[in-house]
Amino acid sequence: MSLQVTNISKAFGGFKALSGVSLEVPMGGLVGLIGPNGAGKSTLFSVISGFMPPDEGAIGFDGRSLDGLNPAGRARTGLVRTFQVPREFAHLTVRENMMAAAPGQTGESLVGLFLRAGKVREEEERLAEEVREVIRFLRLERVADEPAGKLSGGQKKLVELGRALLVKPRLILLDEPFAGVNPVLIGEIMERIRELNGRGIGFLVIEHDLEALTRLAPQLYVMDQGRILTMGAPDAVLADARVREAYLGGAV
Amino acid sequence: MFYAQLAVNGLVQGLVVGLGALALTLVFGIARFPNAATGDTMTFGAYTALTVHKASGSLALGSIAAVGGAAVLALVAYLTVFKRLAGRSVVSLLVASIGIGFMIRAGLGVAFGHQQQVFNVPLSRPIRIAGLAINPLDLQLATVAVVALAAVFAILYLTPIGRQMRAVADNRDLARVSGIRPERVMTAMWLIAGGVSAVGGMMLGIKTIVSPEVGWEMLLPIFAATILGGIGSPVGAVVAGLVLGVAQEVSTPFVGFTYKIALSFVVLLAVLLVRPRGLFGRIEGVR
Repeated sequence: MSLQVTNISKAFGGFKALSGVSLEVPMGGLVGLIGPNGAGKSTLFSVISGFMPPDEGAIGFDGRSLDGLNPAGRARTGLVRTFQVPREFAHLTVRENMMAAAPGQTGESLVGLFLRAGKVREEEERLAEEVREVIRFLRLERVADEPAGKLSGGQKKLVELGRALLVKPRLILLDEPFAGVNPVLIGEIMERIRELNGRGIGFLVIEHDLEALTRLAPQLYVMDQGRILTMGAPDAVLADARVREAYLGGAV
Repeated sequence: MFYAQLAVNGLVQGLVVGLGALALTLVFGIARFPNAATGDTMTFGAYTALTVHKASGSLALGSIAAVGGAAVLALVAYLTVFKRLAGRSVVSLLVASIGIGFMIRAGLGVAFGHQQQVFNVPLSRPIRIAGLAINPLDLQLATVAVVALAAVFAILYLTPIGRQMRAVADNRDLARVSGIRPERVMTAMWLIAGGVSAVGGMMLGIKTIVSPEVGWEMLLPIFAATILGGIGSPVGAVVAGLVLGVAQEVSTPFVGFTYKIALSFVVLLAVLLVRPRGLFGRIEGVR
């Protein structure tokens, strides 16, 4: 019962972005992934979430292979990702952005719309209620009906998290949730992540902000040059000489 | 008062342009190319309405047939041509749409001949409202247009499929990874664009004449309205269509009947040079 990444390799031309990467996130776990720029963290996320096929290796989620599933298919199994640079439907409101994140409704075809109007309305109301809850949880009420394109970077990250939540995830891959976010909002986002984790949603978090991540995740993986360098509790990992060398450029 | 009367006359013309521009802007926003067959889809709608009207004597039946027929025509064009060209350059799609327009026009010419035809609608005495003479037929046509527009905007802004259409227009990649199915969105969009064109075409046919070229000749004002309204903005398209229709009529005493169509060209150039985003512009929506 977990995310099982086994021996993933990926090369772009001659450049080996990932070589034999393995890691595991237990169900409901909260695991951090750190590493210097270009270590391959985002590439690994893209491979796990199905945006990029690996050259080698296997990915299993909840005991089932994800091979051959596209991103939307993987999302349906409960595995969702967010992006380093938040993506949103800029002209849709925050509310609509979240509603658009939960496809699979009757009202998605014109035929369904006209022939099953009652069912469409029912589903819309249920979805709207779910969205209201997520918006309340993320404290986005004030901007709920603003176009998402007008929000601040931190708010957009929250909208992304909200979109992920509407897919009913069991594991969320967060790509730099604190990058470009003001410190107050960082605390806020961290609080939300902890709360969600408390409800049983697992997280794998890439983060550049070491300090924030060591506060958040009880377990860290460290990547460098496309490989997993080491893993363990934050204190032990940060004390590791190889990590210091890779991450801090040996400036110790 | 004279100008007010011209403006009122221009409103129906403006609705025709607005409906065409709405169809054009929907295709541009979602399928990402300027569909030069929009005008000919309108003509197809006009002929369908004309034929059914002649056979049944009912304009209502005629308009239903026109909307249904043109919606199916647009969908067939998508399934047989545009879908296969998806991902190609805008120019390939544009050229393909010009070709489809030619085919529709030629087909209509073969089927109905090139002589002008008119809708046999009874003439009626204009009613006077606040000193303005209003043709009851115009009032009916305007009502049909407004109902059609209301239906389209209700679908776009109040339903799941409409939300998905706008989502695809905003960010196609994100829509795909969110599990929004592009074929469904495209199917709905083409049906709507075809139906909207048909309403415009039918109005045009009733107000003027029906010939295989009427829709094609409307393409310039339609493009002007689309650009003036901001490419990809449905509200902008309709508002700009109305503005253009009214401006054309009001300009007639100055430039004469023959040249009023040139006004669209002036507007088009002016907008492109001065404010390429248009009135309701969102240039970033058009990648």
